Amino acid sequence: MRRKTLSITVNGEPVEADVPANRLLSEFIREDLALTGTKRGCETGVCGACSVLVDGKALKSCLCLAAQADGASITTIEGLGSRDDLHPLQESFMACGGLQCGYCTPGFLIAAADLLARNPRPSDDEIRQGLSGNLCRCTGYQGIVDAIREASEKMNGH
Amino acid sequence: MASTVIGQPVPQVSALEKVQGRAVYAGDLAFPGMLHARVLRSPYAHARIRSVDVSAARALPGVKAVVTGADVPERRWGVAHKQQHVLAKGVVRFIGEEVAAVVATSESVANDAIDLINVDYEPLDALLNAGSAFDDDAPQVHAEGNLAHEIRIARGDVDAGFASADLIHEDVYSTQSQYPGYMEPMATVATVDGTGKLTVWTATQSVFLARQRLAEALDRPVSTIRVHQPAVGGGFGGKIVEERSSVIAAFLATVVDRPVRLGLSRLEDFQSGCFSVPTRIRLKMGMQNDGRIVAKEVDILAECGAYAGLAPEVMLVTAMRSDNMQRIENVRSRARLVYTHTMPRGAFRGFGGTQMLFALNSHLATMADKLGIDPVDLHRRNAIRTGDTSVHGWSIGSCGLPECLDQVTGAIGWSAKRERPETGGVLRRGIGMAAAMHVSGNRTMGNWDGSTVTLKVNEDGRAVILTAESDMGQGANTMLSQICAEELGIPLSHVTVLAPDTDTAPYALGSIASRVTVNAGHAMLKAAKQARDQILDAAAAKLGCDAADLSIVEGVVQSTVNDNLFAPLPEICRYHIFRHGGEGILVTATHDPRTVMMDKDHYGNIAPAYSFAAQAVEVEVDTETGQVQVVETWLSDDCGRAINPLAVHGQSNGAAVQAIGWALHEHLQFEDGRLMNGNLADYTMPTADALPRVNSSIVESNDPNGPLGAKGASETAILPGAPAIANAVYDAIGVRITDLPITPEKILAGLAALGEKNHASV
Repeated sequence: MRRKTLSITVNGEPVEADVPANRLLSEFIREDLALTGTKRGCETGVCGACSVLVDGKALKSCLCLAAQADGASITTIEGLGSRDDLHPLQESFMACGGLQCGYCTPGFLIAAADLLARNPRPSDDEIRQGLSGNLCRCTGYQGIVDAIREASEKMNGH
Repeated sequence: MASTVIGQPVPQVSALEKVQGRAVYAGDLAFPGMLHARVLRSPYAHARIRSVDVSAARALPGVKAVVTGADVPERRWGVAHKQQHVLAKGVVRFIGEEVAAVVATSESVANDAIDLINVDYEPLDALLNAGSAFDDDAPQVHAEGNLAHEIRIARGDVDAGFASADLIHEDVYSTQSQYPGYMEPMATVATVDGTGKLTVWTATQSVFLARQRLAEALDRPVSTIRVHQPAVGGGFGGKIVEERSSVIAAFLATVVDRPVRLGLSRLEDFQSGCFSVPTRIRLKMGMQNDGRIVAKEVDILAECGAYAGLAPEVMLVTAMRSDNMQRIENVRSRARLVYTHTMPRGAFRGFGGTQMLFALNSHLATMADKLGIDPVDLHRRNAIRTGDTSVHGWSIGSCGLPECLDQVTGAIGWSAKRERPETGGVLRRGIGMAAAMHVSGNRTMGNWDGSTVTLKVNEDGRAVILTAESDMGQGANTMLSQICAEELGIPLSHVTVLAPDTDTAPYALGSIASRVTVNAGHAMLKAAKQARDQILDAAAAKLGCDAADLSIVEGVVQSTVNDNLFAPLPEICRYHIFRHGGEGILVTATHDPRTVMMDKDHYGNIAPAYSFAAQAVEVEVDTETGQVQVVETWLSDDCGRAINPLAVHGQSNGAAVQAIGWALHEHLQFEDGRLMNGNLADYTMPTADALPRVNSSIVESNDPNGPLGAKGASETAILPGAPAIANAVYDAIGVRITDLPITPEKILAGLAALGEKNHASV
């Protein structure tokens, strides 16, 4: 297998790596960087559990080779906020029942961060459209929609 | 004083780690020297395995072991029917059955090795249709025949009941298998230590049932196995005791004597996972003109696939549970479970209730229509009530069904919408409702439905709970923490629930039958009261007062008669140790409800409490495309006292959406026994953009047998959705769909048939 060298930024820190050409970005993040908050749910780009921000835009990392991310800045769930300084979305997901089993949660938070970056005051319909690439089996999505609306209001100074 | 913890919508105790992506699931675990496993599955629904050639696979660099059915223990495992080996021996009985497994240094090497295994199969005729199971020339799935289980139940005088009926209606309903669709595919890490002990981290709803099954399948004593539950990414019944990959992973660890990880791909999870039991239900019911049910007769054909698993228990629920929802005296059921050469089916949220409640609620709506009665009134007229003993001997300690009906019909504007004139047109709206009941606990796995909780209070006054009840996302650990915090008078953040571990936690049955809140909640309450009593006794000795005059408020032991007499809780907890004969605070309490096992005739009060639910929906049917859209849904769950309303709403909302998926979208497609849509793109679970706002409300009937009045939540909530939608579709377009799912094709065919009928009658 050919190998590729990678020079990327992950959660603000520079990362140099040498990976097999067929290494998926999701495998690279989970196995090589041990950032296991990025989840493996389908490996076919449907469930969204492996979503990360690549240069600020949400991407399903199972659909991308690690080598294709060369030069990019990647934010995984571990980089969205910290325990003592949570992202407003993380706070509102907790408070509004935006999670249960938690497996889809990192992907939803990434999708929501991408949505609010593009559209800081989305309507409920726009929130639901923005989540159409992510699957959750526990919440019925209501807690997630409520959480994103609340975070949007908080981030816009309400 | 209102509680600051009980009844409050507090976030899950696991929420902080989950929003950071730091909850650790089985597939996230890694150990030094860990190897990776993959499984080879049968491409045939039914075949004899003539030989397996693993030489090329074994020769591949990086491969550490290749095993087949010839290598696994002879002992068979199963629930009641002991039928399965770790890997198939000699015969395969469904496409996807595990035939061989590889352990290698990486997943990709293991995958390559799987491709090098050569199996010589002799294909055999397969039984793919449950309806053909009793044909003379039907292929036999097991030597004992194709009938896995049969149940007959009769109470009262059904024939006399029908004779006294003013209206008799009979119809046949069918329900399809549903995939649990948990977001975490099954994953397990297993390892053997230097003493030979097998330790397993697996996505399970019950560590002790998992250990029992491993002991059986691997033919070794339970005490040589330790099972840990990491964070679990949803279960919905599929992770109780029927999945097989954890058994394979554990066996492989014993072969290579090193840590092994087996994480299923989504396709493998579909191929091997446990779907719900599909059924064909013939229902005949007699009513008097006032709507009172006087006779009910049920004939069920259910399919368990290749192995029985929990399906006999599931079918029992289908056969008799809904009888207890109504004041009914004359019932008769026959239910037959058949094997087919398809993947095993079994436990799924609702545990057989969804199937029968689809039939029953559809039937009641039809009969209400014929009698000119509002279906809500029909439900109310027949509803079981608090204090009743049901036809099968269930003692109803609390029943909030009438209040559930009031809530959902009030919220949706039932009366006004029923009376609105028909508008015609392409898009037509209709409303429908349904009601449900479920158990909270079930004395079914032997004569014990108890729960034991061990509680430690540390020298800083903070608490640690040891339990083997399982939280797979539904909030069990939060419920236990809330009860503990309330009783000890400490903040919720001062309570930790240890993850289930068979070597340290007391024995427990786990998260099945909506039993954890009602049983473990009680045990928690007892343990916390015992610990509090010990603390107050120690404080009384230290402060020189009467323990009866002390209480714990916000982490301070305080006299209720003298404001100046108090001590911080940590001080008392240290005093509990540091005195002659002292010790750390460690208590264990058990609660086993006063229920009975069913007798041989399936009679007896099996659960400490019973929960109820109702749902009302409005749909819009596109008469040109056949598409059905749920535009409004209200679900009300009678869960007794809601210890955590945030968690209850979350359960109700998730259940409502899972029911919408089952009713309208989720349909496993088979071709010659092969699953054709085993992926999340083609097996279409609802997404956020396809749904309306999901509304749920709570009825707090406060059961006398529940801890603080609580009953189980969540399973009841999945039950009424599908029939409520079917009834709303009928209200919208006059087409009665009796076989799920309600697809556009069926809608259009129904409309066409209706058109022909109307045309013919002109």
